[in-house]
Amino acid sequence: MGHFKTLIKKECVEEIFSSRGAALYLVGCGVLSVFSLLLVSNTELSLLDNAQAVYMMSAIIIALALLIAVIRGSDGFAGERERDTLETLLITPVSPVEVAIAKLMGIISSWLVVFVFSMPYLWAVGSTGQNLLSAFEYLFVAGTLLVIIFGGFTLALSARMKTLKGALSVGLTAFLLSGSPILLGPSLRQSSIGRFIDLINPFADALNMLDSVVVDSLGVLFQIIPLAILVSYTIAAIWVLSMATKKVEL
Amino acid sequence: MKAIEISSLKKAFAGKKVLEDISMTVCHGDIYGFLGPNGSGKTTTLRILLGILYPDGGKIAVLGMDPHLDGEQLRQRVNVLPESHGFYGWMRTKEYLRFFGQLYGLQLTSAEWRMRVEQVGLDPADRRPIRTFSRGMKQRLGIARSLLNDPEILFLDEPTNGLDPKGRRKIHDLLLKLNREKEMTIVISTHILDDVERLCNRIAILHNSKIQYEGSLFAPVAGKSIRYQFHLADDKSIPSTWNFPGISCQEKNGPWVTCEIKDIHPDKALSLLVQKGIPITEAIQVNSGLESIYLNFTAQGKE
Repeated sequence: MGHFKTLIKKECVEEIFSSRGAALYLVGCGVLSVFSLLLVSNTELSLLDNAQAVYMMSAIIIALALLIAVIRGSDGFAGERERDTLETLLITPVSPVEVAIAKLMGIISSWLVVFVFSMPYLWAVGSTGQNLLSAFEYLFVAGTLLVIIFGGFTLALSARMKTLKGALSVGLTAFLLSGSPILLGPSLRQSSIGRFIDLINPFADALNMLDSVVVDSLGVLFQIIPLAILVSYTIAAIWVLSMATKKVEL
Repeated sequence: MKAIEISSLKKAFAGKKVLEDISMTVCHGDIYGFLGPNGSGKTTTLRILLGILYPDGGKIAVLGMDPHLDGEQLRQRVNVLPESHGFYGWMRTKEYLRFFGQLYGLQLTSAEWRMRVEQVGLDPADRRPIRTFSRGMKQRLGIARSLLNDPEILFLDEPTNGLDPKGRRKIHDLLLKLNREKEMTIVISTHILDDVERLCNRIAILHNSKIQYEGSLFAPVAGKSIRYQFHLADDKSIPSTWNFPGISCQEKNGPWVTCEIKDIHPDKALSLLVQKGIPITEAIQVNSGLESIYLNFTAQGKE
């Protein structure tokens, strides 16, 4: 257990305090600043209902967190393999599954930093409206589950693929594909195919959940199905990760 | 007692055979030289022995354990210096050794940490991040890491890469001391024959996916001569002709005599000369003949 704690500490420090980590957070803060500024100052966007603005900001925060999770996940094993640090880690009495779980914890810590950084932005666009507290709560829950799902799957990919480039390109493609149904027009999303895609897409489930909580002010009972789907994906991601890292080769 | 036993080991990458029917034995307390040209499969063999690469066939026992079934237990008792070992560049020496020490369940005190840094010739006061270190300094740090858990078997893949002559000598002395005092079994994979001559008592030569030779360092040299320089306390005592079996005097230069030793172990030759009353104060091996033997074994078949 002691060495597991050491691994988690190393991953968190690497995620949060490294120059790469700092650069990602800086870019993230830049993106959030631009969007929040647009939401409060742009003539058309500022006419949006306060709850709508909070929902849009939450969606951007989740997209940003997932992008960071995909980049970090792809780098997890493949990046260490390329930097020749994976062998030094694997020759210690630590199992690859423990290394993978520690890396996932690092990715989650990265999300927590993004979440803390995003709070003032969310407050800035939605402080005068209702449901801001619910937005914080559901953003935290949905964001954490999505980060585990995307981080877990990309870490599993990274353990199996030999190069960082390969793992990153597959991870980013999956991320874009999961985001693409959101870009579908409202009429297409109302069709049975659109609804099905929305239902099985964890990203869409999280956003629909936020929409119904923040914009439509619906209670927790209405969130059971999307939450159950997100939890199922989370369990699947952890299972895939543990299977993929049972046998990590150089 | 056997520390490592391999029989009929096979491994191929994308259909290309890298190891074919490899069998070898390393005994406790050996300093075992694993020789072979680049790409001959030395690193692959070491990775299989550690359980981080899976073989296609064969049996392996390291300290009586199967590296793929008891990997974590085994890795607690052995350690490795990989050939291409990366470092977490943002860490400092202390953080790096503490991090790996904790993975072995060790809590290094400041005194222990200093001792481990100093024994490889690094400065404990150096607080620069590892990314600023030279190649030689990184190699020394890698050696310090590989000694953290006082391993029963230490695998070293090209251990003196990037070290200056003084650094190499320091590492040689350290390895010999560990082998002598702690009876540490050391397996050195290298193609630097000087390291092997200085350190190893047994060797294996790997070439064309097969073990071409396995045995004592002296045995393959049998039949070939080894050149030694002896320093005598009294140069007047040098006889004009030496008629000792297997030892022939070649040159004399002041108190130094150069001899060719053939078909007799150098240790035996030395005791024979001392027994005959020759006042030898120093003996320096000039050439063990290993280079020609190595070239002979590795020249066979396709390069």
